[in-house]
Amino acid sequence: MTTPLFHFNRHRDDIAKEVVERVVEQLGQSADDPKRALQLTLNDAAFHEISRLEKAGSRQANRLDDWRSLARRIGTASEAELRDEVHRRTEWYVNDVIGHFDRRVYRFATNVLPVGLSALFNTTDLKHGLSAFKDLSARIRVEGELETLRSLADKGTLVVVPTHSSNLDSIVLGWSLTHAGLPPATYGAGKNLFSNKIVGYFMRNLGAYRVDRRLRHRLYKATLKTYSQVLIERGYHSLFFPGGTRGRSGEIEQKLKLGLMGSALAAFSERVRRGDTRPIYIVPVTINYPLVLEAESLIDDYLKAEGQARYIIDDDEFSRFSRVSQFAVKLMGMNTSMIIRYGQPLDVFGNRVAPDGTSRGPDGTVIDPIKYLQRDGQAVADPARDSEYTRQLGRAVADAFLRETVILPTQLMGWVLFERERQRGGPGLDLFTLLRTTSDQPHDWNELCATTERVRTRLVAMEKNDELRLDDTVRSAPIDSLVTEAVETFGMYHRKAAVRRVGGGVKVSDPKLLFFYGNRLSAWSETLREELS
Amino acid sequence: MSAWVVTSDGPWGDALARRLAAADQQVTLICAKVTRKKRPKGITASTDLSGALANAERVVLAEDINGIDARLQEMAPHLQGNHRILTCARGLTHGDHCRPSEAVVAHTAVRQIAVLAGAATAKSVSKGDASALVIGSAFPAWANELQTVLAADALRVYTNDDAPGVELSAAFSAILGVGMGVARGLGVGASTEATALTRALAEMDRLVTGFGGRPGTAFGLAGLGVLAEATLSGAGEAMAAGSALAKGEPLDAFSDLADLSQRMAARADTQKLRAPMTQAVAALFTGRLPADQLLKMLMTRSARSE
Repeated sequence: MTTPLFHFNRHRDDIAKEVVERVVEQLGQSADDPKRALQLTLNDAAFHEISRLEKAGSRQANRLDDWRSLARRIGTASEAELRDEVHRRTEWYVNDVIGHFDRRVYRFATNVLPVGLSALFNTTDLKHGLSAFKDLSARIRVEGELETLRSLADKGTLVVVPTHSSNLDSIVLGWSLTHAGLPPATYGAGKNLFSNKIVGYFMRNLGAYRVDRRLRHRLYKATLKTYSQVLIERGYHSLFFPGGTRGRSGEIEQKLKLGLMGSALAAFSERVRRGDTRPIYIVPVTINYPLVLEAESLIDDYLKAEGQARYIIDDDEFSRFSRVSQFAVKLMGMNTSMIIRYGQPLDVFGNRVAPDGTSRGPDGTVIDPIKYLQRDGQAVADPARDSEYTRQLGRAVADAFLRETVILPTQLMGWVLFERERQRGGPGLDLFTLLRTTSDQPHDWNELCATTERVRTRLVAMEKNDELRLDDTVRSAPIDSLVTEAVETFGMYHRKAAVRRVGGGVKVSDPKLLFFYGNRLSAWSETLREELS
Repeated sequence: MSAWVVTSDGPWGDALARRLAAADQQVTLICAKVTRKKRPKGITASTDLSGALANAERVVLAEDINGIDARLQEMAPHLQGNHRILTCARGLTHGDHCRPSEAVVAHTAVRQIAVLAGAATAKSVSKGDASALVIGSAFPAWANELQTVLAADALRVYTNDDAPGVELSAAFSAILGVGMGVARGLGVGASTEATALTRALAEMDRLVTGFGGRPGTAFGLAGLGVLAEATLSGAGEAMAAGSALAKGEPLDAFSDLADLSQRMAARADTQKLRAPMTQAVAALFTGRLPADQLLKMLMTRSARSE
């Protein structure tokens, strides 16, 4: 197995230099007026940085002065001076972004982290050492196209694109790569995550690069995208969350950010231009939690008036060790496993990739990806074409997220119970009213089981049709056990259980959480509603 | 000079092959049987689809909506990423109810797709009547190339990057054209026809936007253009179907339009989009709504702002 990341440090300075040179060249590119292009770039950066740093107060006064001084000089500076400024500032951003890889830390992490994670996930097993590791494997199941991916990792470069619903994602995903015998991947993580000293130490030394999501200007975005592109071009297996941030609503992400996704196509295009025909494989991954650590904060944020939801949340459950620990302990006690599913890989144009590494059309025809870049036999640069290819890749990944999502008992029950509440509310009841009020009436156990059975039957048919995947319990457990397991799981971690058993039925106590978990099925709601009445 | 494949010698295939040849392009026109029929210089008739696709990356998929699934399945093993396709079909496919461009993606690995629509008919293009077409595509280089080679003194060709909007507008203009045909068949006055046309247009914009197109595309050639052409000429399949509905004549020849209206009405219903004329046309085809009740049904709906 090739693991280019092991040699990252040897090439670190060279990578940084290449990124800076490319960004300066790209941003100063303008057939008509390169000076004007540089002025626009610096004006945009200065405007955003000054606005941001003014709000930050005195902590970053020096940087604020520096940007103000630049803003005053942009209009009178020569083209060479402007180019120097872009160079200097790009260099600063690259040094802020760039990762580091320490093999000793990697060895330590791969040997000790599973036990550490097991300890975190099950404190009672701490004394049992490796047996705890086995428990972790039972609680976090890694499945999917693993054998194919192990083989493709040697043939080309993997770009892993997972769904994102928790700050635990990058940790469990890192573990899953090692567990599945896949090479480590470099990835971009929000800068706020590095503020946790322990997590930050590991991320800093395991190839993660820092993404400051507060910076929205073109110069920073170009730096990030170019950094990601250069890493992929050089064969570093990479990982990024195409949803951009954790999904707030519990739904499977369908609106994906295309910036970093475009870096995979740009890297492939650049490789082809240089005569390097090694393929790049996009690997959609779904991370399926029976319960989500930050569910309460995420759904609260989602339900705030549109436009006020926060892009970066830094005060949620992940920032409190006691909640993380409590969540982990409860997760270990659940009957339902968390499932990380590696889907069928795609090429950078969204075609499915066969186990032998070849791209395939819908009818199985072998497709040569290089031809997408050609016109009349010659490779042709066409940024508008490539932007549309990237949009199409985004759609293919979003479709793969649906196909590879594994529906768990809590999500099925969340959907069924919330829809039953919606029916009780009657037509015309808006979502927010519904979420504020719950019917006092418990859901009769037998009726609930009967409805769930009908919905489950429909889901089984959809799974056969390759529309989604089901957890074993959802697929085939006796319906009474399935409903019982879901209700018990709901009661295990959240401060207020979403539902609880009362007498001969189930009563909803937190409709927001039900809505959150049920939203995992929202893509299929129209079809499934036919089974409700 | 570039090599092109035109996949059928039907009305659109023939008209576009001639336009391409007139623009000095090398065209292989796929026919069921090669005959001695005289064709303009630059057009070679052939039955060898796979051979033609091996030598040309520009493809005009000239089949109508009923024929494109089978043709695409036949073409798929011979298509690669450098192939670029222009579709001429209008409506939704029978099996999966796909737009023509969706059918291309479902069957083949081709990504660079453009769709053709507009007020010009194959006949008017062949005759050289002054008219206009629109090429919908998210790939500007492909759309611009098509615009360049298809345009002529009597044919203006526009581009639009909202390909789904263009396809949906073309589909809805056929359905709403049936409604206009019913009005004409019932012998209503000009003010009633004008009212129907205006409200049809508003409905088309709403539905095109609701189904994934962009607001405003329906007001272009693919939507208003086609609807106005049908209404002003009084000719074409949609107007004929409307007339047959109004007069209680047999509808066997219009089963495609009947299917299309049912499918679109059902989709509008599912998405909770207001579509009174589309629903009415669907109901007329199934016999749930007698033609003489159409006006009453539309006019007595609850009042609303424009």
